[in-house]
Amino acid sequence: MLLSSLLLIPALGALIISLWPSQLEPRQARLGSLITLSIALTLSLYLASQFDISNPGFQFAEQINWLEPLGLTYSLAVDGIALPLVIINSLLSLVSVYISGEVKRPRLYYVMLLLISSAVSGAFLAHNLMLFFIFYELELIPLYLLIAIWGGARRGYAATKFLIYTAFSGILILGAFLGLGLLSGTGSFDYDPALAQTLTMAQQTVLMGALLVGFGIKIPLVPFHTWLPDAHVEASTPVSVLLAGVLLKLGTYGILRFCVGLFPDAWLQLSPWLAWWAVVSVLYGSLAAIAQTDMKKMVAYSSVGHMGYILLAAAAATPLSILGTEMQMVSHGLISALMFLLVGIVHKKAGTRDLTILSGLMAPERGLPFVGSVMILGAMASAGIPGMVGFISEFIVFRGSFEQYAPQTLLCMVGSGLTAVYFLLMINRVFFGRLNVSLPQLGTPVDTLISGVKWRDRLPALALVLLIFAFGLQPEWMTRWMESTTTTFVSTAQQVAVQSGEKPQMNNAL
Amino acid sequence: MTKTSSETKAPSKTLFKAAPVYSSSDYIDRLVAGETLLPETPENLKEVVGVLDAYGIVLDAYSINLNYIAEHQFLKLVPIFKYFNGEITPQKILKHLWHDRINYEYAEYVMRTMMWHGGGGLETYLDSDDFWACCSPAIQAKIRLNPILRSLNATFPNFLPEQVRQLCYYSGLGQFWRVMSDAFMYLARSYNQGKIKSLAEVVALVKSELVANATQPITYSVEIGGTQYDIIPESVGLTFLPDTAVPYVETIFLRGAPFFGTVSYNAQAQQVPIDQAQFAYGALFADPLPIGGAGIPPTLLMQDMRHYVPDYLREIYQRSKRGQDDIRVQLGQSFQKSMFCVTEAAVRGMMPYAPDTEDPKEQVLNRDYLSGWMKRLSESRLDVVQIKD
Repeated sequence: MLLSSLLLIPALGALIISLWPSQLEPRQARLGSLITLSIALTLSLYLASQFDISNPGFQFAEQINWLEPLGLTYSLAVDGIALPLVIINSLLSLVSVYISGEVKRPRLYYVMLLLISSAVSGAFLAHNLMLFFIFYELELIPLYLLIAIWGGARRGYAATKFLIYTAFSGILILGAFLGLGLLSGTGSFDYDPALAQTLTMAQQTVLMGALLVGFGIKIPLVPFHTWLPDAHVEASTPVSVLLAGVLLKLGTYGILRFCVGLFPDAWLQLSPWLAWWAVVSVLYGSLAAIAQTDMKKMVAYSSVGHMGYILLAAAAATPLSILGTEMQMVSHGLISALMFLLVGIVHKKAGTRDLTILSGLMAPERGLPFVGSVMILGAMASAGIPGMVGFISEFIVFRGSFEQYAPQTLLCMVGSGLTAVYFLLMINRVFFGRLNVSLPQLGTPVDTLISGVKWRDRLPALALVLLIFAFGLQPEWMTRWMESTTTTFVSTAQQVAVQSGEKPQMNNAL
Repeated sequence: MTKTSSETKAPSKTLFKAAPVYSSSDYIDRLVAGETLLPETPENLKEVVGVLDAYGIVLDAYSINLNYIAEHQFLKLVPIFKYFNGEITPQKILKHLWHDRINYEYAEYVMRTMMWHGGGGLETYLDSDDFWACCSPAIQAKIRLNPILRSLNATFPNFLPEQVRQLCYYSGLGQFWRVMSDAFMYLARSYNQGKIKSLAEVVALVKSELVANATQPITYSVEIGGTQYDIIPESVGLTFLPDTAVPYVETIFLRGAPFFGTVSYNAQAQQVPIDQAQFAYGALFADPLPIGGAGIPPTLLMQDMRHYVPDYLREIYQRSKRGQDDIRVQLGQSFQKSMFCVTEAAVRGMMPYAPDTEDPKEQVLNRDYLSGWMKRLSESRLDVVQIKD
C-alpha cells in the first residue's frame, strides 16, 4: 500500500482542493498542496529507508486485477531505477508548488500540479505496460493546461505543439505495447523482461523503434526536440522546473525500462547508431544553446544536449553506463530545476530574459548577487566541474560508455565543454558589467530599481544547491539505491538474449 | 531657467533614456542667476543636508585619525595600531577585528590619491630643499636609537623622506577635513534649527566656511624624544584654501583614480588619458552603482556614513523600492549630489567677480571662468543629478 499511497496522496490532495466547498484563497490552495506534497515526499523518503539496497529486483509489489481481459492490472513495484526518480518527482513537485506565487484560478492550478505529481509517480512505479501508458498520458492534459492557461504570450501555440508531439509519442508507445502484447501471445501486459523473447529480430526492431521514437519525443532527442524550447519559454517557472526536472525523465526512464529492458537484442543491434544519435543530440543541443538570446531557451537547449548523454550511456549498456544513465537523470533533474528556478527569478525581477538587454545583475546592492552566485554554481555543476553532482554523473556516463563507443563518447564530451561555453556566455552577459535592466522605454532611467529576492524565494535554490554538492561530494548517497539494480539490469537483458537463442555479444564489460 | 535646449548634447545612452539634458550655457545661466547646479527641490535639500550631516561625523573621525597617524605614528615601520588613536584596549582590539569600526582605510585612500595627483603649494614644498632641511633632523632623531631604521635609511636614503612626504599628506588632509567636518556639522545643526531652507543657502554656507578658513595656516610638526620638529613650519606659508582645499577638489572630485571599480580601463588602448590632468574618474564622475562591491573605496565611506544617517534621510531611503537594502548606493547618489553643492560653493568662492555684476566686461570674464568649469564637468554626472524622481 506504500506505493499506492505515493500516487493516491497527491491525487487525494487534488480531489480535496478541487471539491473544497468554500472559496479558496491562492494562499490556502498553495498551503494545501504544500502539505500534500510534503507528506508524499516524506513517504517517498520512508520508502527509501525501507528499500533493500542489496535486492536488485522489484520490491514492495502491489497488484490488483483490474481489467483482466485487456491484460490490464493495477500493478506497482519499485526497483533501484524507479526509486530515485520517485523521490526526485516528490521533491521537485514540492519545489514547484513552493515557488508558485500569486496565480490566477489557484484551485485549478494546484490541482493540475498535484495530478502531474501523482501521474508521474504512477508512471515510474507502474509494473504493467498499459498502466505505465495510462499514467504517461495522464500527466499530458494537466501539463497542457498549465502551459495553455498560465503560460506566456504564445502559450496557445506552445501548448498545442507540446500536445501534438506528446500525443504522437503516446500513440507510438501504445502501439508498441499493444504489438508486444499481441505478438508475444501471452495477452498480458505485465512488465516482464522475457516478454519479447519469442519475437523475431525484425518484430523486436520495429516495436523498439516505435518506443524509441515515442520516448525520443518526450526526452526530447534531436530532431524531435522542437516542442521543448517553445514549451519552456511559454511555461511559468514552476512548470518549467517540473518539465525539465521530472517530466523529461519519463522519456529516458522509458528508454531504459522498456527499450533496453524489453528488447535487449534489438537494442544491441541498433546501439552503435543510437550512440551516434546521442552525439548529434548533444552537439546540436549545445550549439543551439550557444546561439540563444533568451535565457530560458538556452537552458532548454542545454537540456536537449544533456539528455543526449543518457542515450549514449544507454546505448553502451555496460553496468557502469547504466548506472550513469540513472545518475545523469537525477543530476539533470536537480541542476536543470535549479537553472530554471533561477532564470524564473531573473525574469520576475528584471522583467526580461533577453540576453541582449540584461547586464550587471551581479551588482551587489541593486542587482541579484545571490541569484548570480547560485547560477554560477549551477553552471559549474552543469558543465561537470568536480565536487558537484554533474561531474560525477557525467564522469560515470563517459567512463561507462567509452569502452563501448569511444569516438561517440569523446564527441559527447565536447558537449560538456560547450556547456561551459554557453553558460559562461549567459553569466557574462547577464551578471557582469554594469547593471542595466530596464526595458528600452522612453523616460525610464536605466538605473531602474529591481526589487530584491527574499530569503523565502532563495530557499528552494539553496536546497537544490545543497543536494548538488552533497551528491557531488558523496555520490555513494545516491548510487547506493541504484547500483544493485543497474548492475543486474544488463545481466537480466543478457540472460534474456541467451534464452532467446541470440549470441550474447553485448556488454563485454560485464 | 531649466529649459531644455534643442542644441543640447544627446543623452548619454549608457546612463539614461530621455534624461533631461542641459547645455553648459544653461548651467552657466543658472549659476549667474543665483540658482544652484543641483535642482532646488525639498527632497534634494534633505538628501544633501542629511548626507553631509553623516559625512561630517565620519570626517571628524577620519580627521582625528589622520592627524593621529601623522603625529604619533611617525616613521613607525609596522604601525599595526594606527587606527586605534592611542587607545589600545582588548575591547577595542576585539571590536576592530570584528570590524565594528570606522573604515579609516578610506581616508588613507583619499590621502594617497591626493599625493599621487599632487598640486597646490604642498606638493611644491615637498619637492623643495626647504622640505629636506626640515625633514632631515626629524629623520635623524628618529633613526638615532633605531638600528633597523638607520640601516634602512643608509641603504635607501630616499625611502624615509618619501614616508615623511606621505605623512605630510596625512596631516594636510587631516587638517582640511577638520575644517570641513566642522562646517558640515554646523550646516546640519543650522538645518535642524530651521535656519537652512534651500540648497542655495547650503551652498552659501559651505562657501562662507571655505572663505572664512581660506587663510588658515597648514602646519605639521612631530615630537621625537621630547623635541619638537617642524616638518611644515608656518613660515612656509601653506594655507587651507589654495594648498589643501583646491588640490583636494581637483584630485577627489575631478580626477580620482581609475584603478578601482567594476569598469576596467585599457591604458594601451588609450582609454586612460596620457595627461594626468585630464583624468575624470573623481566623485563627480563616478557611477554610484558599483558601490557595495568589495574593494571599491567609496563603499567604505558609504558603509561608515550609513551609521549616522539622520532619520529624515533614512525615511527617504526607506520609501525606495529596496528600502534600506541598497542604502549604500542611495547614500552614494546623495553624496554625489552634495558634492556638486560643495563644488558649486568652491566655484562661486573663486569666481573672479560677483555673479550679479552689471559690468559687461566682468560678466564676460565670469562666464569665461564658469565655462571653463562646465567644460570640465561636461562628462560628469551633472546631467544625471538633474533627474527628479
